[in-house]
Amino acid sequence: MNPDNYLYLSAILFTLGALGVLIRRNAIVVFMCIELMLNAANLAFVTFSRMHGALDGQVIAFFTMVVAAAEVVVGLAIIISVFRTRRSASVDDANLLKY
Amino acid sequence: MSHGYLSPTGLEIAFVLIGLVTLGSGLLVVTVKNLVHAALWLLVCMGSIAVEYLLLTAELLAWIQVLIYAGAIIVLFLFGLMLTRAPIGPTEELNVRHRWPALIVGLGAAGTLVTVIVQAYQHTWFDPRGAVPLGSGEALGTQLFKYWVLPFEVLSVLLLAALVGAIVLSRRGRDTEEAEA
Amino acid sequence: MSILAASSTTATFVAPHVEFGKLSPMLIAFGTATLGILVEAFAPRKQRYGIQVGLALVGIAASFAAVLALAGTTASVVAQGSVAVDGTTLFLQGTILVISFVAFLVIAERKTDQNQDAFAAQGASVPGSAAERETTRRGWQTTEVYPLLMFSVGGMLLFPAANDLLTMFVALEALSLPLYLVCGLARHRRLLSQEAALKYFLLGAFSSAFFLYGAAMLYGYAGSVNLAVIAQHVAHPTAGSTLLYTGVALLGMGLLFKVGAAPFHMWTPDVYQGAPTPVTGFMAAATKIAAFGALVRVLDVGLGVNSAENVWRPVMQAVAIITMIVGGVLALTQRDIKRMLAYSAILNAGYLLIGVTSTTAQARAAVLFYLPVYGVAIIGAFAVVTLVRDAGGEATDLSRWAGLGRRAPIPAALLAVFLLAFAGIPFTSIFIGKFAIFQAALAAGSPDLVIVAVLASALAAFFYLRVVVVMFFSDPLPQGPTIAHPSIAVKTALAVAAFATVALGVAPSLLLHLANNSAGILAK
Repeated sequence: MNPDNYLYLSAILFTLGALGVLIRRNAIVVFMCIELMLNAANLAFVTFSRMHGALDGQVIAFFTMVVAAAEVVVGLAIIISVFRTRRSASVDDANLLKY
Repeated sequence: MSHGYLSPTGLEIAFVLIGLVTLGSGLLVVTVKNLVHAALWLLVCMGSIAVEYLLLTAELLAWIQVLIYAGAIIVLFLFGLMLTRAPIGPTEELNVRHRWPALIVGLGAAGTLVTVIVQAYQHTWFDPRGAVPLGSGEALGTQLFKYWVLPFEVLSVLLLAALVGAIVLSRRGRDTEEAEA
Repeated sequence: MSILAASSTTATFVAPHVEFGKLSPMLIAFGTATLGILVEAFAPRKQRYGIQVGLALVGIAASFAAVLALAGTTASVVAQGSVAVDGTTLFLQGTILVISFVAFLVIAERKTDQNQDAFAAQGASVPGSAAERETTRRGWQTTEVYPLLMFSVGGMLLFPAANDLLTMFVALEALSLPLYLVCGLARHRRLLSQEAALKYFLLGAFSSAFFLYGAAMLYGYAGSVNLAVIAQHVAHPTAGSTLLYTGVALLGMGLLFKVGAAPFHMWTPDVYQGAPTPVTGFMAAATKIAAFGALVRVLDVGLGVNSAENVWRPVMQAVAIITMIVGGVLALTQRDIKRMLAYSAILNAGYLLIGVTSTTAQARAAVLFYLPVYGVAIIGAFAVVTLVRDAGGEATDLSRWAGLGRRAPIPAALLAVFLLAFAGIPFTSIFIGKFAIFQAALAAGSPDLVIVAVLASALAAFFYLRVVVVMFFSDPLPQGPTIAHPSIAVKTALAVAAFATVALGVAPSLLLHLANNSAGILAK
């Protein structure tokens, strides 16, 4: 079958994630959208891996997943610490820093 | 050598169905008003991507996807939502003001990426019966420890740093050992 | 059956050969960080601070010794093609280590703020609450900051050395994640600090997603993430190049974010202002050096072929111009000294991008010279900021600095040295650096960039001199900020920074020579 179907899926998923980062306000949901983007990149890696007939892409996807897990740990720690001091997880409320 | 799990037609039908699930759930993650539902749709999305990995003969990766993403990361997200007292039920947190610029950016980016892929892979086809290395645990492990040892070790250090850092950032109150020190 | 056949071929596993000697600087840094975690677990609370600081400084020194020992060895690609150890790598690693040493001296300072360092006693306690006062009274400290920053140093050492995009991605995360966390731990103005951490984290994760998708595109193009293989495919294309350029664009977004170049600079002022000031100095200097090292490697090793250069060079030149204009113009409007220095960092990223886009060995040498002299000066400037204090932490508003030159001549004079260097006054190190970059850009045939850069420098001179004028030629405030008396460590750090800034301006030949020698060797 034509491999670009998988790549279309990956590209659209990546765009959806980026879109979500721009339009969502809750920090946790913004972060979920970033995870969507990482997943899209993984799908692209695995598809390319299949096309090139090499396992490199799959190994890279494995690395990305572990890095994403570490990122989630750090991210949620930061979001929750912000929430504890100001009782809100909205990105828009984080506005002490201005030009 | 793998011959795939399904016949070529079956593969395509499966891809189309799973792809629709992936796209639909991805769209819902971005647009749904209920925060907890967004996390649950993300779970569906990650799960269907795991099935895509299976279709692409990445066995081990599919399982890791289920374990790490569906199992661990989504649960962490749900915990995060609960700890920050996310409202149950619909919220107004979708940013309406940015809808149009975001839509333009999104359509532009998707259009560009899709065009690029059309340009690059117009004439490439998978051979479903072709000789493709199967992403089994053994094959992936061999690759990992033959060629990617250093990044792998750095990854372990990274996990340690994330673990310690998260504890440092969220620790409060007294624990028994510290109180007497 | 077929599955069994596949697995039997991989049955004999040959352990890979790892060149531990060549990797020793990074291994020492990561090892020190891990030891630091053990210290947290086992050492008594009262002694942890001393042990952690000592351990970190010894680790950095040992890592630097390893770099020195490797200097002069033949350039090679080690660890199965993951890491390139060559002149450029070693020069940048040495620079990062020297900068980190100076930065750690400032980070570990406790004398300026009632025997407390710049970090919250407990990250999650509510600022100003009874619980926080209690922990502060007991003298609790977040000594985990030192191993976390050592993890970051290890990532920085690996980042400019990474020879494939996967290693680069892992190094990028290893240097970023600890910094996101440490940004949120400021003792004073915690809200600001936590917001900075949140912004830095969300935007950083966003940009690393772009980096990763770019890497995926390049993998699709070349069938490998190794920069040398990508370079081969670029030189002898087998497929259309749309995938290549989309990949490079996405990858570039991720790298330019870390560098702090203009369309992707939005995080810089916020994070620099909110983070604990000593950490800001460390980030402004060391992160920038590591990120530029990685950028140079991607562009010169992976895409250093003429056909590719002709495509990415105009784009990068445009980015350089926008960066300089944004940095220069917005710095003019700042009232806060930390934000002003942040925009100044953006402006300097613009100058460095000119050097990167010129792609000659001469330009690379100029970039290598500019990075350490810029890094030392910016660390010094932020260290002076930590000394000028109000009741609620540092007095960063520019109006509070009026007449500082009369009340505290030494800190004011030191800051004046750094600011004059940024302004590009002759006989300072950064003047020589700028001169070298402009010369290389002219030689590479892009006078338009040099014109923009000179105009931006003139603009920049104005706002640097404005601070000097406020400090020396206006009357001191009656209720002015207090000037902390730092420990001998910070005094040493400031003295070294100021001495280097002046000495390398008067007699730059040694470092220029070293940069020239290092820049020529790029392992491919």
